[in-house]
Amino acid sequence: MAGLREIQSRIKSIQDTRKITNAMYMISSTKMKKAKLALEATEPYFYTLQSTIARILRHLPEMEHMYFEKPEVNRTKIGLLVITGDKGLAGAYNHNILNLAQKFLDNAENHVKLFVVGELGRQYFTARNIPIEENFRYTVQSPNFNRARWISEKILDQYRDGELDEVHVIYTRMENSMQSVPEDKMLLPIERPALAHIPADVYQEEFFLIPSPEEAVDTIIPNYITGFIYGALVQAFYTVHNARMVAMEAATNNADELLRDLKIMYNRARQAAITQEITEVCSGAKAQRAKREAKNNTEHKV
Amino acid sequence: MATFRLKIITSRRIFYDGPCHTLIIPALDGEKAVMAHHEEMIIAIKPGEMRIRFEENGEWEYAAVGQGFCQIANNRAMLLADLIERPEEVNANRAREALERAQERLRQKQSVQEFHMTQAAMARALVRLKETERYIQ
Repeated sequence: MAGLREIQSRIKSIQDTRKITNAMYMISSTKMKKAKLALEATEPYFYTLQSTIARILRHLPEMEHMYFEKPEVNRTKIGLLVITGDKGLAGAYNHNILNLAQKFLDNAENHVKLFVVGELGRQYFTARNIPIEENFRYTVQSPNFNRARWISEKILDQYRDGELDEVHVIYTRMENSMQSVPEDKMLLPIERPALAHIPADVYQEEFFLIPSPEEAVDTIIPNYITGFIYGALVQAFYTVHNARMVAMEAATNNADELLRDLKIMYNRARQAAITQEITEVCSGAKAQRAKREAKNNTEHKV
Repeated sequence: MATFRLKIITSRRIFYDGPCHTLIIPALDGEKAVMAHHEEMIIAIKPGEMRIRFEENGEWEYAAVGQGFCQIANNRAMLLADLIERPEEVNANRAREALERAQERLRQKQSVQEFHMTQAAMARALVRLKETERYIQ
């Protein structure tokens, strides 16, 4: 059994670590509340935007546009926007995202231009000597629309110039309040849904695009991209705090469990030490008495 | 009088969800008005001023709107925009600062991309400032 002092110093160090994890838990839980408000405020926009765009695409007349998918064209210039956290200690959050990004890079046949949001992503790719095209700094902590505009403008600019012809975004999507999944979504070009089989007698509304289909798509699609990136940033912000909160809660619980075990161990060791001391005192006294009695007996005899 | 269902969603909140009589929005080539039983349409919106009248002969309500689009189908309109603010919500000082920042940036040499961003920022700031003036009057 380990010595008393050793156990005591371990208990102390675990207590100190527990204080830190507990503080981090409280911080991320308050931050998460803030993030949750932002998330709830944007969720209708984020999802309505996607469904409305999908609906527009279904009803759009046959047209070719720079932003739309062209059939049978091999796309070689690929861009990837990766949204990671700024700091670690958030469970598997960053690993999940970076694993997905790494898999994407491994599977890509061509060079992939990387756009990275978040400090950890930057560190990961620099450590592996993977060149980063654009590094957006400090955008994870407080997502706002200006940041999203900046990012989407940067990407759209290259897309318009023909430097990119396919853009993906990898971010963490909230499944529900407990679960989040890393997701890879193709932003550009926009996929046209396959023509659905609609019975001939069903009325199909036909939209007029104002001012003209080309001009309308010209403004609506960049707007959609910005909205999507903003939504992705907000979701990432929420999930990173959620992940950190869960991780820190688990760490605090583990520390509690360890402390309980160590307390028991410490008490046992203490008890053992006391027992040993008592035994030593008793046996010592006994030996002394035996010696005295033996001496007395011999004296009487003499 | 006939009304139509209007839903206005911005990136920060659901701005309005309910019946509406007339909606006037800044389209790319000028203002467009939407009333009940409007033709199916998708209208691209540029930063500008939006007007809504909830009832016939009712009061006009004004708001500053950013970029977005409006989809009209089956007597329902859905307006999605990155930013919509009522005149009383616009922070005049912030709008003025944003305008000055944009003007300053315009004077400096910048890339085409930066130029577009600055121009858009300036348009937004101008609209918001215009709305605050309406509120003060």
